[in-house]
Amino acid sequence: MTKDDVKTLARLSRLAFTDEECEAFLPEMDEIVAFAGTVNSEIEGDTSTVRLSSDEMKFDDLREDEILPSLPSDKILSNVEGDDGYFTVKRFIK
Amino acid sequence: MKEMVAGLEIHVELSTKSKIFCACSTAFGAKPNTHCCPVCTGQPGALPVLNKAVVEYAVRAGLALNSRINTRTHLDRKNYFYPDLPKAYQISQYDEPLCEGGYIELDSGKKIRLKRIHIEEDAGKLVHEKGFTYIDYNRGGVPLIEIVSLPDISSSAEAREFVEKMQLIMRYIGVSDCKMQEGSLRCDVNISVKEGDGPLNIHTEIKNLNSVSFMCEAMDFEFSRQCDVLAAGGKVEKATLRFDTSTGETYPMRTKEDENDYRYFPEPDVPVIEIEPSLLEGIKDSLPELPSIKINRYINDFGIKAQNAELVCRYHKVAAFVEGAIAEGASPKNAVNFTLGTIFSTLGTEEGKELFEIKTTASQFAALIKLLDTGKINSSMASSALVKMLDTGKDFTEFIKADDMHGISEGDLIDICRKVVEENAGTVGEIKGGKTKAMGALLGAVARATKGKADMKKAEEIVKELISV
Repeated sequence: MTKDDVKTLARLSRLAFTDEECEAFLPEMDEIVAFAGTVNSEIEGDTSTVRLSSDEMKFDDLREDEILPSLPSDKILSNVEGDDGYFTVKRFIK
Repeated sequence: MKEMVAGLEIHVELSTKSKIFCACSTAFGAKPNTHCCPVCTGQPGALPVLNKAVVEYAVRAGLALNSRINTRTHLDRKNYFYPDLPKAYQISQYDEPLCEGGYIELDSGKKIRLKRIHIEEDAGKLVHEKGFTYIDYNRGGVPLIEIVSLPDISSSAEAREFVEKMQLIMRYIGVSDCKMQEGSLRCDVNISVKEGDGPLNIHTEIKNLNSVSFMCEAMDFEFSRQCDVLAAGGKVEKATLRFDTSTGETYPMRTKEDENDYRYFPEPDVPVIEIEPSLLEGIKDSLPELPSIKINRYINDFGIKAQNAELVCRYHKVAAFVEGAIAEGASPKNAVNFTLGTIFSTLGTEEGKELFEIKTTASQFAALIKLLDTGKINSSMASSALVKMLDTGKDFTEFIKADDMHGISEGDLIDICRKVVEENAGTVGEIKGGKTKAMGALLGAVARATKGKADMKKAEEIVKELISV
C-alpha cells in the first residue's frame, strides 16, 4: 500500500488524518492486507471457479410479500429536531 | 460522419406490496417517514429479510425480456456515503445479477441488447430547500430492478421506442406501473460519439431523467455538445451530468466515486438465493401474451389495421376488454373501432386510458356490438346507446327498444334508395354534373325514409351504384 491508498480510504470513510498519521498507518495496513493474503497461499491452483460460500436459501423460504405496521413516526423521528416529519440536515448541495 | 452511441440504465420500481428487506408498505404518496422501521432506516442490529415477490417479479421481467436467469444469485453491498442511504451502503447486485443478456426488438427489427437486470433497494428522497435538506425514507427500501442495455442505441428516437416498449412489457406482466411522474421509472443515459470507423470517444453519463421527453432532449443536447467539442479539436471528458429541464442543457454534477470506490462485497446479511428450475418453468408459463405478439395477432388474425392494433395494445386493460368482447362473439373490427372511438372519447387522458375504469363490461359491450354486426342497428344508434351505457352501467336494452332493432334489410334499403333517386332526378343531375356535395341531400332523404335505421355507409354505396358515380 502507498500513502495515497491510505488517504483514499480515509476520504471514503470521511475521516481526517494528518500526513504523519497516514504514514504511521502504512505498516499496519500492510500487515492487514498481508494477513488477508494468506488465504491465497492456503489454496492451491485456480480459485476463479470457487463460488461464494454462505448460507443458502431456497426461493420458497423467502419472506412472503405482506405488509406489517411500520414504526410510529414519532419513534422513527424521536431524535430529530423540528416537527415537519422529515429528517433534516444542513443543505449539502448548491 | 458522427454517430450517437448510447446505452440506458433504467430503474423500475416493482409494485410489490411491501419493501424489499422489510414489511413496510411501498405505497406512494404517504406522509414522510411513516413507512419506516429499524431495517429501512438502518438502525444498528436490524437485519434485512428478502421479499420473495421481488425475486419473482424480477425473474418475470427477465423472462419477458429474453434474459438468462441465474438460478444461483447473491446480493452485494455497495458502499457510499450520502444522506439518502441511512446505512451508508445500498444492497444491490454486482457480479452475479439475477438476469443476464436479453433484448428488446424495435419496430425496425433492430435488437437493443441487454447486459443485465439486477435487484436492489431504492434510496430515500431528498428535498433541498433554502438552507436545509429534508429526507423522507418512505422510498428507502422500495424494490427496484435496474435494466442495463448495451450501447446499441444510436438516436434519441430509438431510446424513446426502447423505453416505451419496456414500459409496456412491465405493465403487461404486472411487475410495475412504470409511472414516470411518481418516479417509478427513471433513466440514466451513457452517451458518446463515434466518428466513422474511428474508435469510440469518451462517454458521459446523464443521471436521473424522469420523463421520456426529457431523456430525448438531454440526449440530443449532449450529442451535439460532444460533437461541438470534437469539431473544435477538443476532447470529451468523462463526467456525470444532470439535465436542466428549464434551460434544456446538461451540466456536471458532483464527482462520482469511481466504481472501485464503492468497495462492493458480498452482502453478509442476506443468504445466497437458490432458484429451482421448476419455478422458472412455472413463471414462464404464467407470463401473459406480450404486446408485440398481441399486436401481430390483432393484425393477422383479426384483420385490424396496424395503427389501430397498436392503439388498443398500448393499454393492457383495453386489450383485455376488447378480447373479452370478441370472445363473446363481437366482431373484432367493430369492437376495436367503438373502443377507440366512442369509449376513448369518454376517457380523455393517457392516464384515463391506462386505468380504463369504465362501467360497461366486455359482455355488455359485446351484446351491443353483435346487434351492429348483424345489421339490427346502425352505427350511430350503437354509438349513442354506448355513450348512455358507459354513463350508467346499464345494458343496451335500456336504450334501444325492440322496435328500433329491426334495422333495414339490404333489399329494403335498395328499394328505398331507388325510390329516392327516382323522386330527385334534379339532384341526381347535379351530382352527375360534378356537384358532389348534393349527395348529402339524397342521403338525407334516405335517412328520413328509413327513420334513421339505415346504415348510411351502406346507403351511400347503393346510391352511388344506382346513379353510376
